[in-house]
Parts: sequence; C-alpha cells; structure tokens
Amino acid sequence: MSAGLWLCIRLPRLAHEALAAAADRAVNAEDLAARRAAVERAAIERLAAWAYQWTSLVSYCLLDEPLLWLEIGASRALFGGHAALLAKLEAELAQLGYSHVCALAPSPTGAALLTHVGQERCATTRSQLRSRLELLPLSLLALPEPVLAALQSAGLRRIGQVLVLPAAAIARRFGPGSSLYLRRLCGAASDPRPAWRLPATYRARFEFGSEVHDTTALLFPLRRLLLEFQGYLRGRDCAVLRFTLEFEHYRHAASGVTIGVSTPARDAAQFLLLARERLQAVVLPAPVSALSLEALEFTSASVVQADFFGSDAQQLQQLRLLLDRLQARLGDEQVRGLQPEADYRPERAWRFVAPEQATAASGVRAPARPCTLLLQPRRIEPPARLLSGPERIESGWWDGGDATRDYYVAGAEDGARLWVFHDLAEGGWYLQGLWT
Amino acid sequence: MGSRRAETLERLARLCRNGECSRVASRLAAPSGFPELDASLPGGGWPIGAIAELMSDAIGIGELSLLVPVLSRLARAGRYIAWIAPPYLPYAPALAQRGLPLERMLLIQTRSLQESLWAAEQALRCPAVGAVLGWPAYIVDRNVRRLQLAAEAGGSLGILYRPLEAARESSPAALRLRLHAAPDGLAVEIQKSRGGRADLKLRVGVADGSAL
Repeated sequence: MSAGLWLCIRLPRLAHEALAAAADRAVNAEDLAARRAAVERAAIERLAAWAYQWTSLVSYCLLDEPLLWLEIGASRALFGGHAALLAKLEAELAQLGYSHVCALAPSPTGAALLTHVGQERCATTRSQLRSRLELLPLSLLALPEPVLAALQSAGLRRIGQVLVLPAAAIARRFGPGSSLYLRRLCGAASDPRPAWRLPATYRARFEFGSEVHDTTALLFPLRRLLLEFQGYLRGRDCAVLRFTLEFEHYRHAASGVTIGVSTPARDAAQFLLLARERLQAVVLPAPVSALSLEALEFTSASVVQADFFGSDAQQLQQLRLLLDRLQARLGDEQVRGLQPEADYRPERAWRFVAPEQATAASGVRAPARPCTLLLQPRRIEPPARLLSGPERIESGWWDGGDATRDYYVAGAEDGARLWVFHDLAEGGWYLQGLWT
Repeated sequence: MGSRRAETLERLARLCRNGECSRVASRLAAPSGFPELDASLPGGGWPIGAIAELMSDAIGIGELSLLVPVLSRLARAGRYIAWIAPPYLPYAPALAQRGLPLERMLLIQTRSLQESLWAAEQALRCPAVGAVLGWPAYIVDRNVRRLQLAAEAGGSLGILYRPLEAARESSPAALRLRLHAAPDGLAVEIQKSRGGRADLKLRVGVADGSAL
C-alpha cells in the first residue's frame, strides 16, 4: 500500500531550458541532442536539492520525460495546506524559469499520470483519484504500446473501464507488470520510490549552450543557481558564510570568485546582490562555457534567526549587509577599522583591524595628538616657526626601533599646523602629522 | 480627523508655494559641539539627512577637528562613521583621545573616484551609518545630488571635503562652508545654508595642539 501524498512535477522542456538560460541565441538542435542527457541530469539534481525545502523525500526519473516527485503528506501542514504549498512551489519554479506541470495524488504513479491532464490535477484521497481517473482516456496510461492497442481493440476507451477488470485477469493476459502498474496507479499497491539523498556538500554546475562573454550575461543563470541553492539550504535547514563561483573556459584554466557574508545567510536575493557587486570587478580571462556554484561548509540556521530581533540587532544586520556589499565590490582588505596600540612611538601607536573589531582605547597616555598621521615621517627643513613643544619621546631600544625625538607643533605659511620632530640621534627634522 | 488632514495638507502646500519645503526636511540637526557654530546653523547643528561641503585649500587647519564632536556624538548613539578614501591616515590615538568610539569607525579604501562615489552612496543609504566623510578630487552636481538623496534616505550626515575653488560654483549641498586657518582656531564662512543664514563669518576654537 502506498501511503502519503505525492506531488509530481513534470518538466517537459528541462534540457532545453537548462541550456538556453544564458544563451542569447537559440540552442543548436544537434548540440542539444548530444548534451541532452548530461544537462538534464545536472538540472534535475539541482531541482531535487531545491525541492528538499518542501519535504524530506524527493525522487526523480528521467526515463521518458523528466519527472520529480515530492512526498508532501507530512510536510503540507507546515506550509499551510497542499494548495498553499503548491502555490509557493509553482511561484519559485516560475522564477527559476522552468516550464512545469504539477499534479497531486496519493500515489506517485497516479500523480505522474495527472500531470498530463489539462485541469483538475489534484486528488488528495484514493477515492478522489479513482473518480478522477474514471473518465480519462486510455491513452494516458503508461503501458506498453501493444497492451494499449489490445485494450482499445477490446472496445475499452476510458481508464475507468480498465480499472474494473480483475487484476488477476490483467496479469494473465498482459503480464504482471501491467497489473502492478494499474494497482499502483490507484494507490492499491506499494509504489516505493528511490529517495534521492541530499549531498553533504553542494555543487551545482550550469553548462551554457553558447559561450558567455561578459559577466552581466552570467547574472540570469546565476540567479537560477542561487534560487536552487537557497532551496537546498532551506531543505537542510542550514546557512553558509561563503560559497564559490567557478567559471569554466574552453581554452583556459577555470577561474572563480568566493562570495562571503559576515552573518550566516541563505537568502538568494542577498547572495545575488553580493555576487553582482563582486562580478563587476571581475575581468574574465576567456569566454565562459559553464558556471558552477560550490559550498563546502555550512552553519546552523538558528544563527540566522538570532540576529533578527531588537533594533540594535536590526542595525547590526543592516551594517553587515553594507559591509558585505562593500567587501564584495572593493575587496575584503579595503574595509577596515583602526585601533590604538600601547607604544610610545607615534608610528607604532596604532594598527588596522577588521571592521568593528577595534577595542576600547588600549593606547598609552600621551599629550594631545593630531588627527592625521603620515605613514612615513617626511624629512623637512628645520621649521621656521615652532608654536609649542618640545615633548620628548624616547623608546624602542629593546626592539631595534631606537628613537629619541623632540616633538613640536610648527606653523606652516598657509596657517596649517604641523606635527614635527627633531631626531636627536642624527639631527634631522621630520614631519609626522597634521593638525587637521 | 478629516479636517486635521486637510489642515496639514494646506500647511504643506503653503510651505511649498513659498519654496520652503526644504526647510521642513532640514530641521533635523546634530549639535556640532561648537556653540558659536550651532548658533549660526538652522536647527542648531550639522544637517542630518543632507550633504555638507567643507571647502579649503590648506590641510592641517583643524578641518577634521571641526567634525570630531559630532562624529563622536553619532558614534556614541550607536551609528557608524564611514571614511571613504581619506587622503591621509586618521590617527587612532588622537581620535580615541577625543572620545570617538573607534569600534564605530569604518575606513574604506577605493581605487577610483567612481568607487568612492559608489561606496559613499551605499554608506549614506545604510541606516546603521551616522556620517560619511569623502574627499572627492572632483565631483559634478549630479553626483552631489545623488549623495544628497542617499543621505536623506539613510538619515545620515554626508561630509564632502572639497578644494576652495569649488566655492566659485553652486552646489546642491544643503550646507557649504569655506574654511581658513585662524590664529586661535578655525575661521568658518557660511556660504550656503539651506533654511538658514548665509554669508556669516565666525571663528571656531578647534584643537590645534597649542596646549602641547
């Protein structure tokens, strides 16, 4: 006996649509035929991972037409009933850009058959399914051609007329396979489906029908990859801190970029925004023939939620989004914080830190310092006008940075105030800061 | 209820007719920490949700010290301060000495003017950011207006340091100040102040190291 409720998605144009996503011209028919199997399998496996967000049992079949099954008997309540779940799922499929027909039945075989019907493709109980099947034409049955022909020549036209025949008689006349198919169709026989397992790491590859020359053309297929990725992350109830995009080229080693976020995330829209910023700075070494997305490390999703309450937390979240965008476009090292260091030598009394990582002033107590420092002291003529000073700074003999200096505030001709020192060891004068 | 709404609409219409709509928007201000300056600015401080231009040719006349109190105030209120490609290194010990919470400072390096403008716009739009400082070598009105809109959207203060020659042309910035060195601080000339008085000259006592 088959149990539960099965959602079947038929994807009549899967291979074509998977290839065509990035191609600006129609895919060559020969080309498509040659690559169909590989492209189709890659696409349906990405969709299977995506489908995990709705259920814990996903199965697929590529024999005749690509079919994807989700067992939603247990999970439909979570999503507000099967109609609401179906609406959400169909909306995402439309976003992904795949033609699809969905049907619902208490058996996987029944659901698959209903995807070929023009309307009323949902039957949630066996009796509903049975009455739905009654009037449908015989030709919809997935039975071997000779069997269908024999049934038709016996004057049968509708599925209902076949279903009332004794199972044993069917088995004798047409073989046990046909009998089993009909019993599975109505949910009267066990109809097990091999569960497709979520891989522990995520890798999705997207092969293009024609080479892609610039990064903006990558955005559409990327959007699809990210939506599928989001489904996978939801299905595993986890999030990521980074993932990698790899570009394959025909005559060049693969290139790629890593996209990082500061807080665990799984939102496709956020990922796309970051990827777009990052891609603007990427110069492709050659046209791209395939794009893949890989994630190896995952974090628990509870962390995703934790950041979202309270206004402080909300502000932090906004800041993280800003930092992620800035770092994606400018580079990780381009956004930094500053921190004082406990050192008497002004040039060593500070350092760069990661943003937000500066800790409360740990610097040494010192007289007033200027707001601006030169990275390297610059040799100058002895200043004409000293406004205040000296402040003697002696330190560093123990680590080779030996210095004895007298610091002054000097006035420049344009009225600027300079922070200068007189190096007592070698007698020179240096400019080290500005009272900005 | 209906009559109150009508009254509000009428008041707004009146304001707009008088070309004073901007005055409503520019009311929000953050005290500068310098009483003499606050007294001359509408709302009593730096305009929030707007761009202010600080124009000078000299470096080292207290042009950053002028901002340190307002930056500290914004940062202590929990908002971040974004420095977009400063032409010199902000010196952490000095900023800490003057009470600026350094954990709120974001120093952003860029490779081009275009990147700087983009980063400034992003930062201004982010509600977590309180102030954005930029040093554009050159900027056209259209871009100042863009930043002005971003500052309005994010409720932040945008500061643009510009050369003195920029003062010869007009700009959509809400506040434009010319800065000059003065013997005992900083001379500030208010060239334009949306909703306030312009053509004012005043002296501000910024820290200049004279107490060293």
